[in-house]
Amino acid sequence: MSEVTAARALVTRGSRPTRGTRGTTPPGARRRRRSSTWIAFAFAAPLIAYLVLFYAYPLVQNVVMSMHRFDRNTFVNGGAPFVGFDIYGEVASQPRFWPVVRQTAIFTIVSLTLQYVFGLALAVFFHRAGFRLASGLRALFLVPWLLPVIVSGTTWQWIMNADNGILNSFLGIFGVDPVWWLSTDTSLISVIIANVWLGIPFNLVILYSGLQNIPTDLYEAASLDGASAWQQFWRVTMPLLKPVTLITLLLGLVYTLKVVDVIWIITAGTGTSQTLATWSYGLAFGKGTSSVIRYSEASVVGTMLLLVALVFGLIYIAVQRRQED
Amino acid sequence: MSPTTFHRIAAIGAILATGAALTACGSSPAPGEDGSASEGNTTSKITFWDPYPQHKDGSAWDEHVKACAPDGATITRTSAPQTDLFNQLTSAVKEGNAPDIVVLDNPMMPSAVDAKLLATAEQAGISTDGVDENLLGPGVVDGEAYGVPFGSNALGLYYNADVLTAAGVDPASVTDWETLNAALAKVVAAGSKGITFSGVAGEEGVFQFLPWFWGAGADLEDVSSDDAVSAGQLISDWVGDGYAPKSVTTDNQSAAWDLFLTGEYGFAVNGSWFAAAAADTDFTTGVMPIPGRDGGVAPVPTGGEFAVAPVQDDDASDHYANAAAVIDCLTSGDAALETNETLGYLSAKPDVRAQQVAENPLWEPWVSSVEGAEGRTTKLGGAYVDVSASLSEAIQGALNAAGDPAGVKAAFENASGY
Amino acid sequence: MTTRSWWKLPLALLLTALMLFPVYWMVNVSFTSRDSIRKGQLIPLDFTLDHYAVVLHDQLPYLGTSLLVGLGTVLLTLAVAAPSAFALARLAVPGRTALNFLLIVAQMVPAVVMSLGFYSIYSRAGILDTIPGLILADSTIAVPFAVMLLSAFMAGLPGELMQAAELDGASTWRTFRSIVLPMSRNSLITAALFAFLWAWSDFLFASTLNREGGALRPITMGIYNYIGAQNQEWGPMMATAVVASIPAALLLIVAQRYVAAGVTAGAVKD
Repeated sequence: MSEVTAARALVTRGSRPTRGTRGTTPPGARRRRRSSTWIAFAFAAPLIAYLVLFYAYPLVQNVVMSMHRFDRNTFVNGGAPFVGFDIYGEVASQPRFWPVVRQTAIFTIVSLTLQYVFGLALAVFFHRAGFRLASGLRALFLVPWLLPVIVSGTTWQWIMNADNGILNSFLGIFGVDPVWWLSTDTSLISVIIANVWLGIPFNLVILYSGLQNIPTDLYEAASLDGASAWQQFWRVTMPLLKPVTLITLLLGLVYTLKVVDVIWIITAGTGTSQTLATWSYGLAFGKGTSSVIRYSEASVVGTMLLLVALVFGLIYIAVQRRQED
Repeated sequence: MSPTTFHRIAAIGAILATGAALTACGSSPAPGEDGSASEGNTTSKITFWDPYPQHKDGSAWDEHVKACAPDGATITRTSAPQTDLFNQLTSAVKEGNAPDIVVLDNPMMPSAVDAKLLATAEQAGISTDGVDENLLGPGVVDGEAYGVPFGSNALGLYYNADVLTAAGVDPASVTDWETLNAALAKVVAAGSKGITFSGVAGEEGVFQFLPWFWGAGADLEDVSSDDAVSAGQLISDWVGDGYAPKSVTTDNQSAAWDLFLTGEYGFAVNGSWFAAAAADTDFTTGVMPIPGRDGGVAPVPTGGEFAVAPVQDDDASDHYANAAAVIDCLTSGDAALETNETLGYLSAKPDVRAQQVAENPLWEPWVSSVEGAEGRTTKLGGAYVDVSASLSEAIQGALNAAGDPAGVKAAFENASGY
Repeated sequence: MTTRSWWKLPLALLLTALMLFPVYWMVNVSFTSRDSIRKGQLIPLDFTLDHYAVVLHDQLPYLGTSLLVGLGTVLLTLAVAAPSAFALARLAVPGRTALNFLLIVAQMVPAVVMSLGFYSIYSRAGILDTIPGLILADSTIAVPFAVMLLSAFMAGLPGELMQAAELDGASTWRTFRSIVLPMSRNSLITAALFAFLWAWSDFLFASTLNREGGALRPITMGIYNYIGAQNQEWGPMMATAVVASIPAALLLIVAQRYVAAGVTAGAVKD
């Protein structure tokens, strides 16, 4: 553990600009401190400008839209009346609102958990794998990401076809009756399966890099102490993977909350596969069962989604702060 | 205040100011100019949007459209699927860079007019002479015409003659729902599969359902009537009895056609745009009009798109002149026949239609369907989209109920909201 | 290979096969003629090369555009993200926590919201239907993530070399360029990988901002040529996906070698 502490100490030491060696800060160093703040800004400036330009405007537009009653006419020609939070109330009192929220929660939590567990298992499996094809096979795991979602989504739709899909044929080998995967009741499970498949590569790459950062001497020391592979995993790997785990889970959560395309292609957001994100998409573009465009309602649902993500972002910052102390 | 606090406040202020300024700019654009085709001249660059991405650069349709450019002008053609095209048109008109001509799906016409996206046919110099009234209907809002349809497609009941013969079914015996169900039972008992159709969520599924809906005597003004429920029960029973594949809830018309092409199905509800493909299959096919519940021919919804001129901000008259020239070229004389033959539609003008049938006997079974077709939006206007949404929910619920009568009834009665 | 882990290779092959089964299905369909696509056959019994002929005839310009946009996005993303990550990780820029939080928030904005907003900006700036415009839009997918990734790695770098350089009188830029960047090579390549893959598979921005670009559209839009009003052709679509995956897969395999090595490997001479 001492090496990790030493490395951490180096990090904290290295992140501050140098001070003068004597007690008082000489004028040259003070000038350098202020100019180094400017230099820091100069380095961060492209990012700040970027964030303002590309994220602030759509965000503000979205919130403004959620407080005006827009339809296609007023969207094009102006004149949408300001209604405050009325539309929020209307959306929340739709019969479909609470089921959609529940479905979003299930979709997100289950996808996230399965993606993380499978990604971690694969990362551990390939780490110190020892066989020659390991890096090649690991690269192949990223292939799902190369495929346009229209293609991979449709392929999953065919695989889950109730009448002649491969999944039912496979289950049939074990004597399981064919399942109508895309019916109203089971569509949530179907899209979770496809989403987990899509999410494994991301988790695999990040967790694998995290595993690479753990010094191998720690494992050697632990096995010298008589720890089994399982104990090594829980006592060495998991604690040191914590920061990477946190960031993977947070980003995974943010991305999963936003997922629209894979669900849309497989079920068009019908039945229990409707989440806040697909609902917002359907309302914004007039897709799904209704071709009426409801810009304001879409912005409302989008804003709600953003707020949920924001809450988890704050939780992450709090946890990260506590970790650093 | 310290430099960092100042920087923070400045940054937040900049964000808010930018956001507010850009939003303000965006929310009230200048309304379109008035203009008229007769007052303008065609320009050298003409933009044309249509919903036929399958007709790529160099295809017959592409060449045909580009050949309709006035002297000295070139047409740039872009394609996108129907709903996307409508949304793109909306943002384009908002920003003032709408194309010269758009080909818009007919049930979207009242919504486009209500959103003030379209110039009137008179303004844009588009002639609607000689076009059948029932086909022109969807494009007429408050007595004013807003575009002209090239032609129409229609739904029919295709059948696989080989499968029917093997099952001992005579196609001529299918005259109403009872005989159709009997035929399906025989086909399935003989080991084939029954019928394919599209029950996908959205307008496409509703389009496919309407012949059964209207064939039962139901009216779009009351979606939960007993007649409507009986139509829903019909398709729900097909899924429950195994006559139709469970993928109908997600299959669009093209996917349903792919299933029919496997040769395993006895019947397919699909459109006249596949008539040529049907003649090309390995197995013998035929087509009959969709039967009504108690006999007769069920009314089908008008298919096809309208050629329209979007509202323009600058140089409106010139843009309308472009629209007038190109649309006139596509809908008159020999070009009109070519337009419809390339797209696989039956012309909206009866004389051109007669010519099409004379030259190509493939179209014969479809003429009565096209002439009896009803516009979805003709009576309801802009209210149709909400009705369509409810009907789509009902169809999805009915199909998922797989024959359960209580489920079907509930689906039709509860369909509402968003 | 020790006898204890003989099972690792077969297990790895099995897992990879399971993971890639949908990809196999895609290839299967790409060789099946239209009549048999919905039959659900495991091997392309109704074999045809027609779809590939169509694809090679139609899609190559789109493939070129996708490659261009992908590489451009990588360059832009790294150009914006690397200096910012350095500032966040090592230069003690004030408001670090707020910036970190904003980066997370930026990734929460649904793509739909972004693309609607971008359309008005692009329309007014006149950069609709251009490749630089699309590169700019695609970079918004990758930049916040890249900054987070790079700053995490850069924070973990040992500070001695940087301190040494500073004592020798090197400017911050020099330190960044000659010491930090080379040491961060592996994390830069990881960030580049994500940026490329996200730009490669982007559809929303391409369809909103690059509609009328003709041949200057990426492959995700080229594939939509096969989705017509009433007619979709899955065979050519699957074939396009297969053809489009090949250059990207090659890039992946090359990049994996760099991602494999740890961050500190070769960075600090002991």
